[in-house]
Amino acid sequence: MKRTVMKKFITGLFCTLLALPAIAQEDELKDLAGYVDFGDLSATYGEPKITINLGGTMLNFVGMMTESEEPETAELISKLKGIRVQIYSTEDNADIAWNQFDEVKGNLKSTGWEPIVQINEKDEKVLVYMKMEGDNMEGMTVMVVDEEEAVFVNIIGQLNPTELGRVMESFDVDVELGMD
Amino acid sequence: MNEYDEKWEEQINALLDGELSASGADLLKAEATDDRDLAKAIIEAYQLQKAMDEIRVERAPDSLRKRLRAIPRQQRPTPMFRFLQPRWVTALAVIPLVLVSVNLMKPDTPSADEVTKARQEMAIAFAYLDRAGVITGREIESKVGQTMADAVTGSVNKAIQSQNLLSKEKKV
Repeated sequence: MKRTVMKKFITGLFCTLLALPAIAQEDELKDLAGYVDFGDLSATYGEPKITINLGGTMLNFVGMMTESEEPETAELISKLKGIRVQIYSTEDNADIAWNQFDEVKGNLKSTGWEPIVQINEKDEKVLVYMKMEGDNMEGMTVMVVDEEEAVFVNIIGQLNPTELGRVMESFDVDVELGMD
Repeated sequence: MNEYDEKWEEQINALLDGELSASGADLLKAEATDDRDLAKAIIEAYQLQKAMDEIRVERAPDSLRKRLRAIPRQQRPTPMFRFLQPRWVTALAVIPLVLVSVNLMKPDTPSADEVTKARQEMAIAFAYLDRAGVITGREIESKVGQTMADAVTGSVNKAIQSQNLLSKEKKV
């Protein structure tokens, strides 16, 4: 019992310390025009099953590593300033996630984001918004909420969807997605 | 032992301990002059004390001394949170200090593993974007047909692409 308490304490301490770089990258992105605050659903759904916070510095390194073999991918990455992903399991209780979806959508509208795609089905909501600053794309936001998952993706910087389709093939990563 | 004996025994003990007043000592000596038994008791008490003083303290064997010293430690109640003992608190306090120090000493350049992990995370993010596009296309197709879906998704892509081209032209 005592050992379990101690193990939990030490594990918690380590997790907090290891999470510091991710928190630091999140802070690095907050001041950018393309940043979107998705709020925090962990009180309802627990910790996100996927959290990604990639800042400009790390993306630069990924681009540099990719440049020689995949120049097209490196070109796409060079225009990005940050990538953020939060994915929660809604487990047949998506009401709170839908409320959050509507709240973020309201914030996007009031801060000059432009709707690109919106799907409002009974059991699924999809939204793609884009932020333009003059002629430059500052960011893109994709939110998908259904009975299984709440997916929040925020791309900061410029992203061309047609290029994205091409470079996806170069990523040799097996990704299992819940949203279907 | 009767009350009489008890009284004299107390007096004798006090005399031997040096706690009897001068008048009490004189009274006891005067009484002992007439009382043979009392005199004998005083002499025996003196002899006993002398014998006791001559007994020296014997040193206990080391093994016994160790066991005796261990008893208080064994009897001490086990603390509820053992990790809150000073040595553990010190050890736990050192962990964040070491991690922070290592972090400060670490150069800004991420390791190859970190970059690979970042690349995988980027792929996951793009996969979700891609999948959102698929959902969008599927929904539009189910509502208005394939031709319209292609037209809409195509026009969305073109709209975004044109913004990028415009931006490139301006840079040139």
